[in-house]
Amino acid sequence: MASTTTSSVYINVIEDVINKVREEFINNGGPGEAVLNELQGIWEAKMMQAGVILGPIERSSQKQPTPGSAITPVHDLNVPYEGTEEYETPTADMLFPPTPLQTPVPTPLPGSADGSMYNIPTGGSDYPTPVNDNGSNADIKGGRPSPYMQSPSPWSNQRTPLSVDVNVAYVEGREEVDRGTSNQPLTQDFFMMSSGKRKREDFAQYQNGGYIPQQDGAGDATSEVAKAEGSRGGNFLDRRHSTTTAKSKFLAELARSSSKIPQLDGPIPDSYEDMLSTPNIYNYQGVVNEDYNVVNTPAPNDLQASTPAPAPQNDIVDDDDDEPLNEDDDDEDDLDDVDQGEELNTQHLVLAQFDKVTRTKSRWKCTLKDGIMHINNKDILFNKATGEFDF
Amino acid sequence: MATFELYRRSTIGMCLTETLDEMVSSSTLSPELAIQVLVQFDKSMTEALESQVKSKVSIKGHLHTYRFCDNVWTFILQDALFKNEDTQENVGRVKIVACDSKLLSQ
Repeated sequence: MASTTTSSVYINVIEDVINKVREEFINNGGPGEAVLNELQGIWEAKMMQAGVILGPIERSSQKQPTPGSAITPVHDLNVPYEGTEEYETPTADMLFPPTPLQTPVPTPLPGSADGSMYNIPTGGSDYPTPVNDNGSNADIKGGRPSPYMQSPSPWSNQRTPLSVDVNVAYVEGREEVDRGTSNQPLTQDFFMMSSGKRKREDFAQYQNGGYIPQQDGAGDATSEVAKAEGSRGGNFLDRRHSTTTAKSKFLAELARSSSKIPQLDGPIPDSYEDMLSTPNIYNYQGVVNEDYNVVNTPAPNDLQASTPAPAPQNDIVDDDDDEPLNEDDDDEDDLDDVDQGEELNTQHLVLAQFDKVTRTKSRWKCTLKDGIMHINNKDILFNKATGEFDF
Repeated sequence: MATFELYRRSTIGMCLTETLDEMVSSSTLSPELAIQVLVQFDKSMTEALESQVKSKVSIKGHLHTYRFCDNVWTFILQDALFKNEDTQENVGRVKIVACDSKLLSQ
């Protein structure tokens, strides 16, 4: 220990606190100086009982406390009650410090730290897939707002169209070619980037024939088609539209120079079959979207069917889980308490500020400052401390 | 001046808290004033540690538990050895609670 001992520092702190709150006690209708003196008296008495302040504190209002010289020789720290015995008969209280003083009350730790701790990053990072889809679609569609990305639009909610990929697109194309339902070889069209004008003609032509023409490269025509489909064909057509949209993503590189990609999709039943044959893709994507949004949002039927059932079980399980968990938590704290109870007054505690905490493999190093240690029933203060721990 | 409530868990802080509790319970003191006293203690204790304490301590031990939460490090050491200039202490189990010193300078 250095020049000032724990006891003298404590006495100085008591003095400082009392002096600085005196105004509050006297003014503003405070309880008055008598109460302040009572406070100081009880506080000091408790400190002496705890053995961290030595001897009666000589204090007169004029005399500034000179505890270092008058009260506490350094070696007294190791024998806390020696000083008191010189002045008065030791009481049981003084010889056996009451245990409650050693029990730390769980006070909130640093108030200033609380504010900064709850800056939990929030934002769109939870929804990476939709964002990406939006971005890529916007590129391809030349800025056309992609309605199916927005949940409010009713028809798009039926299925979230996704990045169903290239494989689906090709299958459809091949099917159409195989069945001879289209006049043009679609796959070739994709890569040859034929102009959009012919596509419009196709559109007019097919509208009467029940085929669904579709253009992926350009926004305007596609959305028009989508509306027409929506009014005529219902959800299945919309899904088809979304499917082709996905196709267009694959073709983005190829179609970069051409604003429109001619595309002929199969008749309605074909698309429906596609949907049925690959249900997992659609459902799965839908699930993903729902999961990342709000848990309780209405989900596709299959999902809703699954979630309510486990819910009651979860409640029960939660109850069961909570207690063991809490018990475990308590156990750890209880261990401290048990140790404390068994060893009487030996809750060893170090309160400090840390400058740096580092770890190399299992070796921890930390530098602390301005600490109060309560070890082996002694209070020791330090200005700096270095810790080296192995984990 | 920012302060930590950390030191209220020390012996001196606990003694003060108990005293204030008693006085508030007996209606000698208003709770508001008691809190003001505690806040003043936070400041006075922090200042005293900065200005009046010069000693250095080294701590060695087996790190049983470490935790960093709300800018507070908590270490639980086993078989720790505390050394300062003139004495050393062995402790079977000790808890270290440390707040971030940078928060005070802000």
